[in-house]
Amino acid sequence: MRTALRAEWTRALRAEWTRALRAEWTRALRAEWTKLRTSPGLPALLAAVVVGTVALSAAVAAASDPSPGTDLPKLSLTGVQLGQAVVAILGVLMMGDEYASGMVAVTLTAVPRRGRVLAAKAAVVAAVVAAAAAVAVAGCVVVGWLLLPADAVAARPAVGSVLYLVLIGLLSLGIATGVRSSAAGVGVLLALLYVLPIIAAAVADPDWQRHLRQIGPASAGLAVQAQANAGDLAIGPWKGLGVLALWAVGALLAGAVLLERRDA
Amino acid sequence: MTGATNVTGLADVTAFANTLRAEWTKFRTVRGWVLATVAGAVLIVVFGLQPGMQGSCGKNGPGSECRPPVGPGGEEVTDSFTFFHQALTGDGSVTARVTGLTGQLSGGGPDRPRQGVVPWAKAGLLVKAGTGQGSTYAAVMLTGGHGARLQYDYTHDLAGAPGAVPRLVPGVVPGGGTRNEPRWLRLSRSGDTVTGAESADGVRWTTIGTARLAGLPATAQVGLFVTSPQYTEEVHDGLASGAMGGPSLATGTFDHLTTGDGWTGTAWQPDVIGVRGDGPATGAESLERTGDVVRLTGSGDIAPEVAGAGGLGVSISQTLVGTFAGLIVAAVVGCVFVTAEYRRGLVRTTFLASPGRARVLAAKAAVVGGTMFVTGLVAAAVVVVLGQRVLRSNGVYVHPAPTSTEIRVIVGTAAVLALGAVLALGLGALLRRGVTAVTAAVVLIVLPYLLAMTVLPADAARWLLRVSPAAAFAVQQAAPEYPQVESLYTPVDGYFPLAPWAGFAVLAGWAAVALTAAAVVLRRRDA
Amino acid sequence: MITVNGLRKRFGPTTALDGMTFTVRPGQVTGFVGPNGAGKSTTMRIVLGLDAADAGEALVDGHPYRALRNPLRHVGALLDASALGPGRSARNHLLWLAHSQGLGTHRVDEVLHEAGLTAVAARRAGGFSLGMRQRLGVAAALLGDPPTLLLDEPFNGMDPEGIIWMRGFTRALAAEGRAVLVSSHLMSQLEDIADRVVVVGRGKVIADASVSELLATVSDGRVTVRSAAADTAAAVLADGGGSVAATGDGALVVAGLSAETVAGLLSRHAVPFSELAAHRATLEDAYLELTQEAVDYRATIPGEAR
Repeated sequence: MRTALRAEWTRALRAEWTRALRAEWTRALRAEWTKLRTSPGLPALLAAVVVGTVALSAAVAAASDPSPGTDLPKLSLTGVQLGQAVVAILGVLMMGDEYASGMVAVTLTAVPRRGRVLAAKAAVVAAVVAAAAAVAVAGCVVVGWLLLPADAVAARPAVGSVLYLVLIGLLSLGIATGVRSSAAGVGVLLALLYVLPIIAAAVADPDWQRHLRQIGPASAGLAVQAQANAGDLAIGPWKGLGVLALWAVGALLAGAVLLERRDA
Repeated sequence: MTGATNVTGLADVTAFANTLRAEWTKFRTVRGWVLATVAGAVLIVVFGLQPGMQGSCGKNGPGSECRPPVGPGGEEVTDSFTFFHQALTGDGSVTARVTGLTGQLSGGGPDRPRQGVVPWAKAGLLVKAGTGQGSTYAAVMLTGGHGARLQYDYTHDLAGAPGAVPRLVPGVVPGGGTRNEPRWLRLSRSGDTVTGAESADGVRWTTIGTARLAGLPATAQVGLFVTSPQYTEEVHDGLASGAMGGPSLATGTFDHLTTGDGWTGTAWQPDVIGVRGDGPATGAESLERTGDVVRLTGSGDIAPEVAGAGGLGVSISQTLVGTFAGLIVAAVVGCVFVTAEYRRGLVRTTFLASPGRARVLAAKAAVVGGTMFVTGLVAAAVVVVLGQRVLRSNGVYVHPAPTSTEIRVIVGTAAVLALGAVLALGLGALLRRGVTAVTAAVVLIVLPYLLAMTVLPADAARWLLRVSPAAAFAVQQAAPEYPQVESLYTPVDGYFPLAPWAGFAVLAGWAAVALTAAAVVLRRRDA
Repeated sequence: MITVNGLRKRFGPTTALDGMTFTVRPGQVTGFVGPNGAGKSTTMRIVLGLDAADAGEALVDGHPYRALRNPLRHVGALLDASALGPGRSARNHLLWLAHSQGLGTHRVDEVLHEAGLTAVAARRAGGFSLGMRQRLGVAAALLGDPPTLLLDEPFNGMDPEGIIWMRGFTRALAAEGRAVLVSSHLMSQLEDIADRVVVVGRGKVIADASVSELLATVSDGRVTVRSAAADTAAAVLADGGGSVAATGDGALVVAGLSAETVAGLLSRHAVPFSELAAHRATLEDAYLELTQEAVDYRATIPGEAR
């Protein structure tokens, strides 16, 4: 009888505990979502993601006269290379702005479990970027269908590009948390995304080139866009995206550890 | 109060000196900025000295050192071809008719070479001081895709009448060759002067040009020659650009080989000058003779040696691969130096201390530009001098550059870093928000370059490289580009569309515009 | 209730806290005063879990802050009124805070009303004056209706009306049974509202007592005398057992004697005087006396005798 009662108690306690935990998660998420949606700059940034991506894709598609064998879906998705800069800004500002104004102290008094704060921010950023990226990529697909010869529409490059942008957003958030400054965070991120591929191309040793392309977040991640010539790639499409995912997760983890340990 | 505002020139200078000193103190007392500047320099050095590149020069024992032959002008050259020749003394002329030019490309497997003639495959008549590589010469020839030409002393190249041989699309022509329209070629020597001419029927001759070969001995080697340089193809693979290529072979079919005007003799001998691994190894292998018809097969090139994907080794620009990273750091520091003032309202204190706002901006530009210049100078000097040694010790061939070029490259790189920081400073003063300004600066500098390298078609890419701030990288070009040598003259290999100081002027223009706009806006806006 | 016990913290070579110990009890306003650099803000940040102490503990209702589940329902804090996203409206700033504790717009409107900000709720918080930002900070502290409040310099930037409001507000909060900790440099304000005062210096508690106890410890007030025969007056008063000092403008300041004694001495010796003023000991006097060794940064005022 007593054991049955105790079992009843532990079950109730555990249920209570999980309910409470879920409630805290909901609260943290809701707070971060409210914070983001009431930021005055958000609509402009999201619009910039879409406009920048589609505009660049359209310009490149209109200007190019692709020879047979060119990777058309990849060409139509060129705009992602500009959209990623805006997504990076979004991810960095999500954390960097709080440090700039000192509001991070308020956030951490409201939600003292710091890992939870970062996780909630990550979830909100991922959702918002996914939405904007979906619109942007859809625009690119339309551009490709209109301006390029047939076969410019393919599923994996498009879906992969949306995931790519989401991962870039998460990577930015992690780096900004570690660096605690918006400007420095953006600088580090843009260097990683844009300068690393240039350096990789400039290194003439083919082995090093291959390695740098396999581990660089942008070059590995964008492998998911490649449709044709899959054999020439430095890394397979989904593997490349996985490399970028590792980068993002690593940055978020490092950021979480630093956030937890450092004084606010 | 006109007395107070009527400052003399000296007072102006003192005021500016004070502002300059204030800005310098502001800069050097922020540990983060100083560390970042140093980090930028370190990045340049690290990327320049990294031992990633490997080569085989000097690695396989003595004799494997890469020492290309040197032409009469002192430049390094490639001199490999098949020669069907004899020694002829004094003045005279030699004539031949070219009836066909076909070729083969490596790649596609050792058993299945591809058919195709590279655009700069050469077949024609050659007069040369001797069979030594690097000796002076003049040649009249038909090429795979550039018609009839006269070339001499490696760097000189004159075009004949276009059109007779159809100008093919540049690049590899699979399965192609010249149309079988025979063409007559003639080479005449008179003392030091050699004239090349071509004709469609052997009767009416058009002179392509004349060459003055100082030092051509009385007895020269004269005859038919065939050669075919490496082919290169660009490969676009995501954010990568690379080159594929390999050796090629060409076979020229000649007949009606005759001498005249003082030259006599029929003791033609086939020889392979500058034996290549993939081509015929001996004269006998390269020759097929059926009666009057001579078929020669050759591989290689008679041209200046170029650095990069299509040629041998690299130029010293290779050591400066890290410049982009340093430039990003310079841009971030330049931006933050001014946007930090707006964050907590420090800008009001600054303008109270120095009411001349344009003066403050100029002082900031001087401080950040000067700092970047000095650190960049040190970093570039270290990397150009030491990097060459590292590359050479790894067996990579580095084309030596004259000291004046090295100095230009080093000073130019430092100046590019300085101007990049100043451009970012102007953007920061205009936009006031650190993040937007840094992104704008980085995207402006890096994205056109990146797109030009990866996705854009060639003319759009070159236009972009001329117009965007990254055009300034032209100061780093250490090796000249030769139109008659087919190679990938890409920025990655250190070739840029603009002349060095022209490219630098483009960046200077951008920085000036940004700074001026910032000064104007700064004066008008509330602090 | 807040209990702070033996907190120690160093920032590099500087010792910020050196064994800070005190308690903030419900139903009273506890003043928290000390010179610059005494460790007040650091202590508050440690209590709120923002900074980590090297040793010691700080508990809110018996738990460390970072273990609390809905912390704003336990402690409300105003640390830095400017710590806001400047582009957000006041209402939206409070809204996300409310959401983080599971509260809603209804509560937000309530605290806005309590802080007197309903009229400007939709305005950009970045455009607020300092006083309005302070009110917004107080509103944020009240969101969770917490039993404990930590206010760091809440009077800063307030106009006189605001100061009166804040004074009444803090007293009302304490009267409701909450524990209120107010740090301030403005002794005169604290004197009227605080029940207890914790005086800190050099990272330690120097005094922890009720206001009346503190005032009692301070030496008696001084008496200012103005006389035509200043030297005679000085001699008489010195004989009478007081210590006399001359201020620059012809008055004498006497310490150690009460005003009645001074008046008596002077009239007994027929020394004419035109002014006799007694200064009641104030909290500021008590504070200055207690902390005179503990002050790290002392500014000098030209001409003043100390």
